[in-house]
Amino acid sequence: MDCHFGFSLSSHPERNFKTRRDYTIASSEICRRCHFDKYVKTLESIHYTILSSGRLEAPVCIDCHGFHSIQSMGREKVLIAKRCERCHATIYETYIKSVHGKALIDERNQDVPVCIDCHTSHDIKDPLTTDYRERIPEICSRCHSEPSIMNKYGLSTDVVSTYLSDFHGITLSLYKKERKDKLQPSRPMAVCTDCHGTHDISRMGIDKTVIKKNLLKKCRSCHPDASENFPDAWVSHYGISPKKTPLLYAINQIYRILLPLVIAGLALQVVLHIWRYAVNR
Amino acid sequence: MEERIKKFSSFRICEHAIAMIVFFVLVFTGLPQKFYNLEISKAIINLFGGIDMMRFIHRNAGLFFCLQISVHIIYGAVTLYRGAEPVIFITKKDFKDAIHNLRYYLGFDAIPATTGLFTYRQKFEYWGVLTGSILMALTGLILRFPVTATDILPGILLPASKLIHTNHAIILVIIIIWHLYNSVFNPEVFPLNRSIFTGYVYKRV
Repeated sequence: MDCHFGFSLSSHPERNFKTRRDYTIASSEICRRCHFDKYVKTLESIHYTILSSGRLEAPVCIDCHGFHSIQSMGREKVLIAKRCERCHATIYETYIKSVHGKALIDERNQDVPVCIDCHTSHDIKDPLTTDYRERIPEICSRCHSEPSIMNKYGLSTDVVSTYLSDFHGITLSLYKKERKDKLQPSRPMAVCTDCHGTHDISRMGIDKTVIKKNLLKKCRSCHPDASENFPDAWVSHYGISPKKTPLLYAINQIYRILLPLVIAGLALQVVLHIWRYAVNR
Repeated sequence: MEERIKKFSSFRICEHAIAMIVFFVLVFTGLPQKFYNLEISKAIINLFGGIDMMRFIHRNAGLFFCLQISVHIIYGAVTLYRGAEPVIFITKKDFKDAIHNLRYYLGFDAIPATTGLFTYRQKFEYWGVLTGSILMALTGLILRFPVTATDILPGILLPASKLIHTNHAIILVIIIIWHLYNSVFNPEVFPLNRSIFTGYVYKRV
């Protein structure tokens, strides 16, 4: 009766809807009466935008949550992915083959992200906007900078911080800041997904030649003329070390010695000179 | 009595004036990129209308600086070939002068070292700036044209160039600070050693 208000044992007024879908959409207004916060969020979602443009197949509350058999969604992550699959079947197919999806299906792993972990649930935004793109490192970092999750799988927690201190990451951070100051930097910057993929994220693998070959393809999507040497410029997410990047390590060491030497030497020159000048006077 | 000696030609005076401006532009647009996390850097970047504009200025000023260095080296080589005296080259005497002056500063010697047209300090400054600039130009070019550079060079030279460029920038800035001390704030020449602007130095006779 809380949902089907207006009806009682004595009265059962007739409601007129052109189609069954019209009735479903109208019914979702009922949920608003209790779940106002969620309802407001949906108004900001891409689904609502599509719905209000007249494409009525965009989902409303009961399309995902059901109606008479509403269950808690959080118990099994796979149930969430299954809901999205009903409309986004191709993406689901890609996802279940990815490193995240495989773990979810094969191992019932609950650490992996499902659709809503990246796209959110009620206020799902258009993922093709610049705003969404620039938030991707932050989205990935929620898990990939979290030691309690990464340690279980022997994964590095430095992947996002190393990205953010590299050219693409620095530029991205500055662009984000500039947008707040109403400047409009126009170029898209490479983020996590540009190299690792989105729904088809796979394990990095061990074979270096394969990694390099794949990487070159990714590089070329922004730097079309890049040669086979180009991917070597990316020294991976592991920072500078004597074993993996001996040249960079050597340069670092040279400047670690040279910089203080130059500063101390020249400062000494100045100090001694001033001292002599003062003594002479 | 003072004797007036011509030290710098008009070409060198112009060269120095241009280098001074270009160097300042490069430092002003470069350091905020190195220290991008500082608030002051962000303010300066905004002043330029964003990082893209700042990089555009830095890169083009850098290309201009490459041109200037090339002209400087070619001009120097030609004048040397034509028989000019290599007055700016470091000799044994410069090292002796440096040690002599160190002794003088510490009170072991009564008088400072005598000098030719260029003091040992000026020579060390010059070579420090020239070699540093060449290094900055080469690494800067690699960073400016990463795709073209890796057509012929190994990819690892890109992060290597970035490391050298960003570290050597600091060394150059320190040498220039030292240069500013020697030619501006040094109590013996304060408020300014004008020779690089007038072209003349004076010798006590």
